Amino acid sequence: MKISRYHIILYSIILSALLSLGWWLGKDPVRDFKTSEPGLDNRGAAVKVNYNINIGEFFEQLNNESTDLQETWPRFRGEYFDNISRSPVKLIEKFGPSGPKVMWTAKLGEGHAGPAIYKGRVYLLDYDEELHSDMLRCFSLVSGKELWRRWYKVAVKRNHGMSRTVPAVNENYIVTIGPRSHVMCVNREDGKFLWGLNVEKDYNTEVPFWYTGQCPLVENDKLILATGGKALMIAVDCKTGKVLWETPNPDGWGMSHSSIMPYEFKGVRMYVYSAIGGVVGVAADGPNEGQVLWKSSRWNQQVVAPSALCLPDGKIFLTAGYGAGAMILKLSKADTTYRLDVLQEYKPVDGLASEQQTPLVYKSHIIGIMPKDAGALRNQMVCVDPSDFTKMIWTSGQAARFGLGPYMIADNKLFILSDDGTLTIARPSITNYTEIDHARVIEGQDAWGPLAIADGYLLMRDSKTLVCLDMAEGRKLK
Amino acid sequence: MEKDKSIKRREFIHTGLRLALGFSLAGVAVAAGRKSTAEKWVWQIDPAKCTQCGRCATECVKSPSAVKCIHAYDLCGYCDLCGGYFKPGVKQLETGAENQLCPTAAIQRKYIEEPYFEYVINEDLCIGCAKCVKGCSSFGNGSLHLQIRHDRCDNCNECSIARSCPSDAIKRVPASQPYLIKGEFIKPLKG
Repeated sequence: MKISRYHIILYSIILSALLSLGWWLGKDPVRDFKTSEPGLDNRGAAVKVNYNINIGEFFEQLNNESTDLQETWPRFRGEYFDNISRSPVKLIEKFGPSGPKVMWTAKLGEGHAGPAIYKGRVYLLDYDEELHSDMLRCFSLVSGKELWRRWYKVAVKRNHGMSRTVPAVNENYIVTIGPRSHVMCVNREDGKFLWGLNVEKDYNTEVPFWYTGQCPLVENDKLILATGGKALMIAVDCKTGKVLWETPNPDGWGMSHSSIMPYEFKGVRMYVYSAIGGVVGVAADGPNEGQVLWKSSRWNQQVVAPSALCLPDGKIFLTAGYGAGAMILKLSKADTTYRLDVLQEYKPVDGLASEQQTPLVYKSHIIGIMPKDAGALRNQMVCVDPSDFTKMIWTSGQAARFGLGPYMIADNKLFILSDDGTLTIARPSITNYTEIDHARVIEGQDAWGPLAIADGYLLMRDSKTLVCLDMAEGRKLK
Repeated sequence: MEKDKSIKRREFIHTGLRLALGFSLAGVAVAAGRKSTAEKWVWQIDPAKCTQCGRCATECVKSPSAVKCIHAYDLCGYCDLCGGYFKPGVKQLETGAENQLCPTAAIQRKYIEEPYFEYVINEDLCIGCAKCVKGCSSFGNGSLHLQIRHDRCDNCNECSIARSCPSDAIKRVPASQPYLIKGEFIKPLKG
């Protein structure tokens, strides 16, 4: 057969095409890719937790000092859980030429634990880095002298600080919860140890990232605590340490940094808790005390620090950081049945949100500081009307940005603590933001611990120092 | 007898060549000296001004961008839940691609000890998109930040990303101090 030039060209083209096809089929364009699969970080096995903690083991009496002060700031967010002081003591508006009047300072272990004040005494659950111990320290509010301390050894590593809770104090008891969820109850007057509870061990609780941030709630000499794990919430008799009730936790919700907030809705008292997994309302009294009244897993965030903000009309404002934003639920009740509706849900760039602090309710408006991922409003203080949490009534403006620090209202003044220890005094308002004065009180960082005020003495801290300021107007020192 | 002061042609040429060579060497030396002592400028990102808009990844004339994420280890919290590594709201703190914020898996997460994890940037994979920087700035200590890497940058006279930067974060800095790095400790930079 005679092979023409045409055939040679045709066969060559076919051969080339086949070779190209073979090359193309044989080539794996992603052969150099490495798949990202779970386990590449070589995460170690869970560290064995030392459950043999002798809670309340050590005590030291350091000083004695009498006091006739009567005011209190007895727990996280104060007497009425709203971060607003009702004290009649008139406070300064401006720091004056000599600056803030520092009464005393105290060195603390690294952390964000806030103080409680009860009748001239300051109580703070510190972490002593030398003794490797959770340490409840009692100071004189006026002199700053440390009166006594009670502690127990527990290994805690630095993880954005260690301590981060506020004790709950009443006339008889002080209840604390430490970084690894060890609960301690002592006699308020003399620090005598009464009982302890190892929540992580007894309830199989998963300690939250960066350690426990939930502050204990004591009502009617009962400790109310959200444990997660085996129970969702428990009540403990402060006198005996006996567990009075446990709320079942069939969904396995976890402990968050949020704290339980008491709430009364349509004549029913309840405890509202923003857990890891959802939000729940538990009956606070009556025959069904300790039972779930309502719950919703629509609000399910990995890290939740702010507590639920419950408004009289049934609106519940839930917020969290790390991009979560906020959700507003509407609670309603018909006969004995509760219903929850989602009114609003948005990202932090679209409305009021908070990463660590729980916002304030002032004249039926909500005041808070926006998180860092809130776009142009990052770190600004804002005010919203609860009819629409995305509509800003006012903002503090680009020149007045704050951080993750606390804020409170006392004597109709708004006190705002910035991360670096700058204390700002502003005029609380539902129409505009007006700064009155500001001063750098601490040359520090991470001033995130909650504020406390009583008898005109304002307590604030940064990561390592507790400071007492005399804010009373015209007080003359003895 | 009067001495002959006239210069021979050969001698004249030799002298001229010597002078020309001398002047040339002096000129080269002056030029070299001027070149070595003149201050050069390079482009760099000011981390304090950067808003993590993402344009460094798309506007740089280099592909991938000469902008890379770098890590200030002394600022890092070594957290398990890292806002620069994980997408917001992930349920599993695992290294699966579905959990990672970085679109090119350029951040390696390594377990140190409970509860600490180290995060290392693979610059060959990093495209300078700043997603991790935004996450770290929003939820962490801000230890991740962008820098123009001078072993990759062409140092164009008119820098494309400087022109498109919405926050004027890119500026000329002396070549002798070419980086504006946060913190004090980073792993050694090349170039």
